[in-house]
Amino acid sequence: MSAAAGRPVAVHQFIPALNPHDATGTHTLKLRDALRAAGWRSEIFAEAIHDDLASQAYKHWMYPEHAAEGDVAIYQFTTSSAVAGYLAEQGLPLILDFHDFTAPEYFAGWEPRSVQRAAAAGEELALLAPQAVLGMAKSPFSERQLRRAGCRRTVVVPVLADYGRVTGAPDRRVAAELAALGERGGADILFVGRIVPSKAQHDLVKALWAYRRLYDARARLHLVGGTSSFEYAKALQGYVDDLGLAAAVRITGEVSDAALAAHFAAADVYLSLSAHEGFGVPLVEAMVAGVPVVTRGAGAVAETVSGAALVLAAADPAYIAAALHRACTDDRLRTALVAAGRRRAAELSGGAAAATLVDAVAGAVAR
Amino acid sequence: MSDTEPTLPADPQAYVEQVMAEIADEVRLRRASGDLPPKLERELDELFLAHSPVAGRGGDLGEALRMVDAATFIDPVVPVESERAAGAVVKKGMRSLLLWYVGWITHQMSQSSSAVSRALHIVDDRLGDLERQVEVQRIPGAKVVEFPALHRPDAWWVEPAVAAVAKAPGRVLHAACGDGWLVRRIDAAGGDAYGVDPRAHLVDAAELGILDLRGEGVAEHLRAVAAAGLGGVVLTGIVDGMAGGERTQLLTAIATRLAPGGALVVHSVSRDAWEAAGAPPEADLSPGRPLRADTWCRLLGDSGYEAVAQPGPGGEDFLVTAVRSSITTPYPPSER
Repeated sequence: MSAAAGRPVAVHQFIPALNPHDATGTHTLKLRDALRAAGWRSEIFAEAIHDDLASQAYKHWMYPEHAAEGDVAIYQFTTSSAVAGYLAEQGLPLILDFHDFTAPEYFAGWEPRSVQRAAAAGEELALLAPQAVLGMAKSPFSERQLRRAGCRRTVVVPVLADYGRVTGAPDRRVAAELAALGERGGADILFVGRIVPSKAQHDLVKALWAYRRLYDARARLHLVGGTSSFEYAKALQGYVDDLGLAAAVRITGEVSDAALAAHFAAADVYLSLSAHEGFGVPLVEAMVAGVPVVTRGAGAVAETVSGAALVLAAADPAYIAAALHRACTDDRLRTALVAAGRRRAAELSGGAAAATLVDAVAGAVAR
Repeated sequence: MSDTEPTLPADPQAYVEQVMAEIADEVRLRRASGDLPPKLERELDELFLAHSPVAGRGGDLGEALRMVDAATFIDPVVPVESERAAGAVVKKGMRSLLLWYVGWITHQMSQSSSAVSRALHIVDDRLGDLERQVEVQRIPGAKVVEFPALHRPDAWWVEPAVAAVAKAPGRVLHAACGDGWLVRRIDAAGGDAYGVDPRAHLVDAAELGILDLRGEGVAEHLRAVAAAGLGGVVLTGIVDGMAGGERTQLLTAIATRLAPGGALVVHSVSRDAWEAAGAPPEADLSPGRPLRADTWCRLLGDSGYEAVAQPGPGGEDFLVTAVRSSITTPYPPSER
């Protein structure tokens, strides 16, 4: 932090879209606060700003009104955006805070617009990475992507997330609904994430089907999160109906923090079968909430959980069903996973995470 | 989830690893008992694909074009039915007011779509012509070439091949699996194996209720396998006669599907055996010829494997065992 002291420099952040209750939005706001606490001027500039955060950020094209000699830009790289081209033209010392983006092939056949957008994001990364004085990744998996894109100096830094939201006061109505379901017996399996092809919720449904057939006929799956892929969400619902699981699969859509806390409190196990994850904030939330995690080791997942979960090589329903069974019924395993999860979550959260990020920024700015 | 206070295992990490091994055993037992037959798993996949848009179903150009044609016309005359008495009248009025505007836009969109559709049909026709021309000069895919004296359960290379993949960090694929005798051996040694073979009649005759065997080619199968989804791959009788391009494609596909620390095992006959008078006819009909053992080691070494070759006792064949090395691996050493 001391690196910032006395330096006449502002470290501003740019982001495609600033949204509340969103991992990158939360990260950006927390980093802004940490940068300010370290002595820098710091504002947020975005292409799109959610109404609830209108007072927290400026449109990216308003940057010249705030520009000063010695400014440094941090770009929160989440997806394709006009901000990328804008920053490339500004010639500011650039730090890429890379949140990974889902590769186009995961959307192929589902969302043509997303395919195009993901491909454009790849081109923008190739444009900005060689210019960046530092690339900050959220996992070694993402760091390799940054290096492949041409980033010469990289570092792995934590996500600044509001993990405490999952242990806050649960929404009473949702908690009561979940408790009523729990009284019917059967395990409650939870997944939190947008309903998109790369999160492979259809594999979760398939796994539930196998788990109910082999071990627990009353088990339920709770899919928490909105969707940005109408076609995939429609196919998923059709699949659920065809398998006769309409009563066993709850698709909640987006929920409040309190409702999310209620879901974590009621869950017996957290299951993720994503085909691609650049980090996986909900995995850490599950560990914070003390819910055992069973997951497919795709992308950065194995690095994120770091031994504190049952990690499977593939979304094989027989394996997943067996792993769910053990995670739900073996108390020694649950205790081991919960204890390891809490330790791992502590490593990834807390005040040290913000300090690590600020130190990385300070190191790059000082060069 | 019991009422008694659970105790933390003395070595939690070791206990988690023990549980993973027990899960693998449990899955083998379940599969062997027919609780979750492989056929059923495939049906689950197909059921989901039935809900996916056309491009998600395999990319048949003809089917895609039929969907484009069906979607080309955009109807500006919106339905006006309503559950409320005045609703239909209001909707009809709005439609009349807006039809000149919406109709003008949709007419242009329909024309644009028709132009695109026409262009795609021309591309389809020309591709058809090209395919017919290429077909004449096509290099045939390699056949499965089995030497009865070498491809058998008591052959010298079977034990080392099984040992190389029995503790693999994930499922083990055997191609070409025939009736599944090697799959059974790997399962018996503690691995979780399945097989593919393009000779569907052999697979159909096998004990599919117990063994997970699939009647398809290895390249076709690997396209559907997720990245790092396999712990081991055993190739017998399929690489010997491959042309260079086909072999390169196969090795590239395997490299992406094999998990870090996974093993690739190749059994191949020598060139002398390949050229011998008693070699099966498929050897003559294959476009390529077997590589030498040293060439395999070099090829796999260049692709990021640590490869070792074992010559057979009669000089007729050899076994190459290769482990995919990786700087970072999600698997602890004990699981490799």
